[in-house]
Amino acid sequence: MSDLNFDYTLLIPELILAVAAGIVLLADAFHTELRLNRTLLPGFTVLAALAAGLTSLAWLDTSDDFATLLAVDNFTAFFRVLFAFTLATVVIGSYEFVAREIRHQGEFYAMFLLATLGASVMAASQELLTAYIGLELLSFSLYVAVSLAKRDPRSGEAGLKYVLLGGVASATLLYGLSLIYGSAGSTSYAAISETFAAGTANVELPLLLGLVLVIAGLGFKISAVPFHMWTPDAYEGAPLPVTAILSATSKAGAIALLLRLFSGPLLPVKDDWQWMLAVISLTTMVAGNLIALQQTNIKRLLAYSSIGQVGYMLLAVATISDASASALLLHLGGYTVTNLAVFMAVIAFYNRQRSERIADFRGLAETNPYLALVITAALFSLSGMPLLAGFTTKFILFQAAAQDGYLWLVAIAVVMSTISLYYYLLVIRLMYVQEPDGAPAPDPQTGRLDRPNLRWRTSPASYAVTAVLLLGTIAIGLYATPLLEAADDAAAVLFPA
Amino acid sequence: MGMEQVVLLPAIPAAIFVVLALFSPLLPRRGDWLAVVGMAVVVVLALAVAFHFQDFFGHGEFDPSGENARAFEWLNLSNGLFQIDLSTYVDAITVVMLLVVSIVALMVMIYSVGYMRGEARYGWYFGALSFFTASMLLLVTAGNLMVLYFAWEAVGLASFLLIGFYWERRSAAEAAKKAFITTRIGDVGLLIGIILLWREAGTFDIQQIIEFAEGGGFDQRYLTVAMLFLFMGAVGKSAQFPLHVWLPDAMEGPTPVSALIHAATMVVAGVYLVARMLPVFDVVLVARDVVLYTGLITAFMAATMGLVASDIKRVLAYSTVSQLGFMFVALGLGSPTAAMFHLFTHAFFKALLFLGSGSVIHATHQQEIEQLGGLWRKQPLTTWTFVIGSLALAGVIPLAGFWSKDEILHAANHNLPVFVTLAVTAGLTAIYTTRLVLLTFFGEPRNHHAYEHAHESPPIMTLPLLVLAALAAVAGFVIYEGVGQALGFAGGIGQLIFAHEPEVFHFDRDLATFALAVSLGGIGIGLVYWWGTAERATRARGWAPELHALLVNRYYFDDLYQSLINYVVLGAGSVIAVFDKRVVNETGVDGGAQTVGWFGLRLKFLQTGRIPNYALAMAGGIVTLSLVAFYTS
Repeated sequence: MSDLNFDYTLLIPELILAVAAGIVLLADAFHTELRLNRTLLPGFTVLAALAAGLTSLAWLDTSDDFATLLAVDNFTAFFRVLFAFTLATVVIGSYEFVAREIRHQGEFYAMFLLATLGASVMAASQELLTAYIGLELLSFSLYVAVSLAKRDPRSGEAGLKYVLLGGVASATLLYGLSLIYGSAGSTSYAAISETFAAGTANVELPLLLGLVLVIAGLGFKISAVPFHMWTPDAYEGAPLPVTAILSATSKAGAIALLLRLFSGPLLPVKDDWQWMLAVISLTTMVAGNLIALQQTNIKRLLAYSSIGQVGYMLLAVATISDASASALLLHLGGYTVTNLAVFMAVIAFYNRQRSERIADFRGLAETNPYLALVITAALFSLSGMPLLAGFTTKFILFQAAAQDGYLWLVAIAVVMSTISLYYYLLVIRLMYVQEPDGAPAPDPQTGRLDRPNLRWRTSPASYAVTAVLLLGTIAIGLYATPLLEAADDAAAVLFPA
Repeated sequence: MGMEQVVLLPAIPAAIFVVLALFSPLLPRRGDWLAVVGMAVVVVLALAVAFHFQDFFGHGEFDPSGENARAFEWLNLSNGLFQIDLSTYVDAITVVMLLVVSIVALMVMIYSVGYMRGEARYGWYFGALSFFTASMLLLVTAGNLMVLYFAWEAVGLASFLLIGFYWERRSAAEAAKKAFITTRIGDVGLLIGIILLWREAGTFDIQQIIEFAEGGGFDQRYLTVAMLFLFMGAVGKSAQFPLHVWLPDAMEGPTPVSALIHAATMVVAGVYLVARMLPVFDVVLVARDVVLYTGLITAFMAATMGLVASDIKRVLAYSTVSQLGFMFVALGLGSPTAAMFHLFTHAFFKALLFLGSGSVIHATHQQEIEQLGGLWRKQPLTTWTFVIGSLALAGVIPLAGFWSKDEILHAANHNLPVFVTLAVTAGLTAIYTTRLVLLTFFGEPRNHHAYEHAHESPPIMTLPLLVLAALAAVAGFVIYEGVGQALGFAGGIGQLIFAHEPEVFHFDRDLATFALAVSLGGIGIGLVYWWGTAERATRARGWAPELHALLVNRYYFDDLYQSLINYVVLGAGSVIAVFDKRVVNETGVDGGAQTVGWFGLRLKFLQTGRIPNYALAMAGGIVTLSLVAFYTS
């Protein structure tokens, strides 16, 4: 075993996150003894996230691994940066929310840090069990975080549901991984890939069952239909920042793992799983988008719309190739920025209005035109409007998938993303057309409105975060090349030329 | 220095949009002058492109048969999937579009200074107009389909913003949404068409695709499907049957916007697209026939609906839909000359009519023609320019509309059913135009309150009317070789834009006489029927009530679509949602917990009721996948 590489410096970004989580926990626990101001906690978390993100840039264009368990390459770097960005954004955008709505702030931030750590491990994993441990770390942190809301009884309930079902999903995944281990005789990706490439005739049945269970287990994490049931409940019940992390970090982590698994160890048995992912992609995009038409709560709407989005991403996994992998990474980057823009704007709205019902967004264009603009642009982007990130990334994604032969699925995806415009427009219409609460009716004679000034301001932190995300959404839509190059470099790791 | 400088044309209004969007409240007059001056510069540049002034463009001449220029690389997938350049393509079709867009946009902006004075969001209005113009100019100069698609969506977005300009007004917001969704349906088709073309041709470049198609690179059936999808985009954008429903509602926007976007420029984008891709349509004649008959149905249907509409702007909207149908008929017959020529003349006289109607609305705050009448005494300039525009629309010699409609009839000469339908529609056009003019400007005033307050509009609004009236009168002469040469071109429009061979125009006396007879006959019928007293305005209703109801209700298409959405899309959605609810969730966390109060009770209920269901669904998924896997392996 002496030839293994135990160079701990490779893991500096992960170590930073772990240590920071410990410090945050302790600082919170002893804050009275140490006379610490709790407002330092989010600041420290953001610093840790930035440090982790920046240090991970040190391993750009290297290809190294830690004890053959974790790879440190461009793919890992892409996700390390993505997760760090997400964490920093969410914490800055929601510290006011957390201060008011969350019990045990220290724990809360520590859980975010650990979830990010878990997701990084998933993205870097080179071995089944390591991947599983990363996934569990991510999940357990979020189980706790979901139920930390102060007043909202839905939070505890959502947490419980998420824990119980997450447990089932974890068990499913573990069964699947065991079966794959049984078929291949190893847990290392490289070894599995070699074994399967040599032929799988005598392990066909356990392998198939293993694939089904792995897809179900990871399908749960990314809320693919029919493993999505927990999603709307958890999204709705969880405190908003946790929902944001659920939809960004948790999902991106699982996608990273899917890419690692299906482009590496499982690629030789592509014929066995390709159709499964195609079918799940189909059910996911159809069900997600159609059910979203019916929703009245903004978090449930976003939950179902995010399910629809997952359908598009699965499309790329099903047709995996270097082109579709880089398209998927690009899409994931663009989606994360857009999605966070919505969530940060909704948090800013909640801070003021204490509501997350879609109906309460009415008249937002009048009371806070800036937030209305951010939400409108982000929703347009999610629906795939050109000029915004959503179109460019989705277009390249569909194009790549069409290239690999699933034209009918791409056609359905295009139709579904048109349908999605309808429910996004409903929200946009509410903000622009309807009168805000408390506005008097227009004067019947002149038709003029003589109303009190209902305007309110966004806090500086929310303002800054949403502005950055909005600009990012537009920038990626107009000129995606820089992000595309990063995605290409990351995907090149999976498919070495 | 060459034609790639053409990107300047969209770049100027785009920059103005950014400035106005960010700083308009800080600028004197909210920055309207900036938009107008910028647009004037664009007009000068467009003329420079057309008349190839040496100073502006290095090697001087634009090649009527087209020139491709690559500005810069925009997206490049390194794994070789595709590369998209921001490239431009300029030929005679582009030049026609550049002139139309820039001139009408300038006129509309000048007019808007008067029309929109005192509006809230005045600066935003000019910003949005600039954004629209930038997108439209990008659209017509795009050298490849992806850039075109981007611009295509951007004009749609601009239209959405401007239709919904009075967003507090519910009908305006509804109309904006309807327009957006309807055109998006077409756009999806366009995108699919582009992807299909790219898959086979391996490029987005329009000229390369045309070469590939003409070289027989496509499978016939495949290409037919691709071109039909592409045509869907044109149908949506140009409000053709069966996606014509959005345009009349789009009249909720400010009137100058209707003139620019919904008469002269954006709605002709579909015509432009088909004209641009016509060599490919020529390869698959089935697709070209679809273009022909779509246009024909639309032209006729919209004209009949225009006969009964009672809102001045809606009459014009139906008329626009109908005239766009004429252009598609020309394209379907394989004559880009006639289509682009009609596009060119129609832009001027229809923009004139819309701005004229805006002048009426501005003066009377009344849009129902049955409430107007007698305005010629109060608004002479508006009236007489409007009459010129109407005569051009009706096709009276020597105004612009006559020449271009004649050219379309000429193209249809060999196809009797098409020719007859076109002639009938031309007659209907003359009738509804006469009705519009008579009820609005002549006869007795029917609403005295509106009439008393009427006044002629300020010069800043009448000046554009005069300019456009002049263009509506003379624009048709560019068909003549001599006129074209006098302007510095190689010849008349038929020698610049053509399908196979340049054509020198010959005046066909028989055809012209027939066309003129149809127009005058229509005008005569209109005069006999509507000239005179106030009661005549509403007389048509009693004549054939069922037919009238059918037309007023627009052949019930709007109702049909609404119920399709209600029952099919939302229905399918709710079926799946109910399933999701029954098997699973919804009531799980809807806040009922607060009313129950006792959290434990809820949890118990939930543990016994729902979580097993969730897990059951997962198990169902796993079992299904496993069964299929084992069965097929």
